[in-house]
Amino acid sequence: MAAQPSRSDRRELVRERAFTAAGVTAAVALVTTIVLFLLELFVTSRSSRAAFGWSFLWHSEWNPVTEKFGALPMIVGTLVTGFGALLISTPFALGIAIFLADYAGKKVSEPVKYLISLLGGLPSVIFGLWGLFVLVPLVSKFEVWFGKLVGSEALVASGTTGVGLLAAILLLAIMILPFSASLILESLLVVPTELKEGALALGATKWDTIQNVELPYVRKSTVGALVLSLGRALGETMAVTMVIGNGMKMPRSLFDPANTLASAIANQFLEATSPVYIASLIQLGLILFVISIIINIAARIILRRGVQQ
Amino acid sequence: MTGRKIKNSVMGVLVAASAVLLIAVLAVIVWHIFISGVKYLNWNFFTKAPTPMGESGGGVFNAIVGTFLITLVAAAIGTPFGMFAGIYVAEHRGLRFADIVRLGADALQGVPSIVIGIFGYTFLVARFRSYSALSASVALAFMFVPTTARVTEEVLNLVPSGLKEAAYALGARRSSVVWNVGIKTAAAGITSGLLTSMARIAGETAPLLFTAFGSRYVEWNMLRPMSALPLQIYIYASSPYPALQQQAWSAAFVLVLLILLLQYGAKHLIARVLRVKA
Repeated sequence: MAAQPSRSDRRELVRERAFTAAGVTAAVALVTTIVLFLLELFVTSRSSRAAFGWSFLWHSEWNPVTEKFGALPMIVGTLVTGFGALLISTPFALGIAIFLADYAGKKVSEPVKYLISLLGGLPSVIFGLWGLFVLVPLVSKFEVWFGKLVGSEALVASGTTGVGLLAAILLLAIMILPFSASLILESLLVVPTELKEGALALGATKWDTIQNVELPYVRKSTVGALVLSLGRALGETMAVTMVIGNGMKMPRSLFDPANTLASAIANQFLEATSPVYIASLIQLGLILFVISIIINIAARIILRRGVQQ
Repeated sequence: MTGRKIKNSVMGVLVAASAVLLIAVLAVIVWHIFISGVKYLNWNFFTKAPTPMGESGGGVFNAIVGTFLITLVAAAIGTPFGMFAGIYVAEHRGLRFADIVRLGADALQGVPSIVIGIFGYTFLVARFRSYSALSASVALAFMFVPTTARVTEEVLNLVPSGLKEAAYALGARRSSVVWNVGIKTAAAGITSGLLTSMARIAGETAPLLFTAFGSRYVEWNMLRPMSALPLQIYIYASSPYPALQQQAWSAAFVLVLLILLLQYGAKHLIARVLRVKA
């Protein structure tokens, strides 16, 4: 009707454009961030690649004095602690999720869910503090006991401080438990009631139903949840840094001090003085970044497929 | 009893036991923080900066100030980006780029905190040749944006489409629909999400190690090195002095209290949203 747009109309139009621009800018910025991270880490670590090339990935000597850097001990440490923690925590995570989905009434499940979110919300450094002063002494006692059991003098004599791979694995298992349990629970809750009731009506016990109806139904999303938890464990920094012992050699047993990619950076970055040392630590960060992006995107895709199915 | 039924009972006990175990572990951790934390707590702990090496007493006022400043500035930087990215994704559902943005936010949420820290160092600290609280805030903002974006999107998706359609039918533009209908309806939910994200970044240590760096003094200038509670806990816990280790527990107690407070606020708001919806 109005041939001439009124002033308030024009103002609204400006606001509309600004609004759209803000949305697009923020969205583009978010995606660009990933590229920016990749570029920045890639560029600042180039002197490490110039010195060691691909052999950085499989050389096992990490020596700041001779300036020889190979990431294999950290890669091994990361994989051992990550998969070890996942192995220990998965049965419990499944148990907790099944308990909350199928056994507990609302009066029990609501507070338990709240406690899970509480445990999941505790900062990494708090777990580290607890791990260092409570868990590590226990692990140390276990090492002494185990050393006597297998009659290993070396173990009793030297490696009994408690810090090392085992302490890191146990602490990580506790830390990812609330995360994986709540992700698995989410997928269990969408199993259609008709399917469960159908099985129960055929005379299946509750566990028969869980084992043969529910778990197969959520198989894909459970895998997705576990992959996401693995991603968490691989990148977890402070807690691991505080209990793993900053060992630079290739670990030979679970009791050895070691390093993960993340803990090596946290432990050594401020002490690193030479450019190659710094670049090599950034290179560890680049490896960790690429692994975490791949794992997270893969897990999301698996999860999405699980839901669609 | 048949084998099936025995198995049924055994598994029932086992799943309940795993839930009990989780609660037990949480209880043990919280108990340790409480018992060891309150021992050293006194008024000075909240109001004094650390004393010089070797002298007793002192507190973590410097770290408390740092945690508040660094967290608030990070949230101030991250909120507009996170919220608008969330609005974009919610308003463009089905669009391929919106999917990519959502996936990008998920991927960013999974980036290890130490990588954020090292990025903060190379991107800001190395460039400007100085450790600063501001570089820590920027690093934390990179963790704040993706969580905020996802929460905003999720909460906006909860707004009944009937409400929005009614506004469109009255001739409202998209910006005014999103703002006056979407954001206002979802305000409590979004605020709750912001508080949860703040609780998360307030406890982060790794992004601060090479950016905020830490300081023994009460520092208000964002361009200078600054301490923060998580950082102080890490430094004290790794120190060989029992007096400092004790302070680490007390600082942990204060940090957990702060985080619980933020989370309680968030939960309270969520409860209100759900009540309004029902």
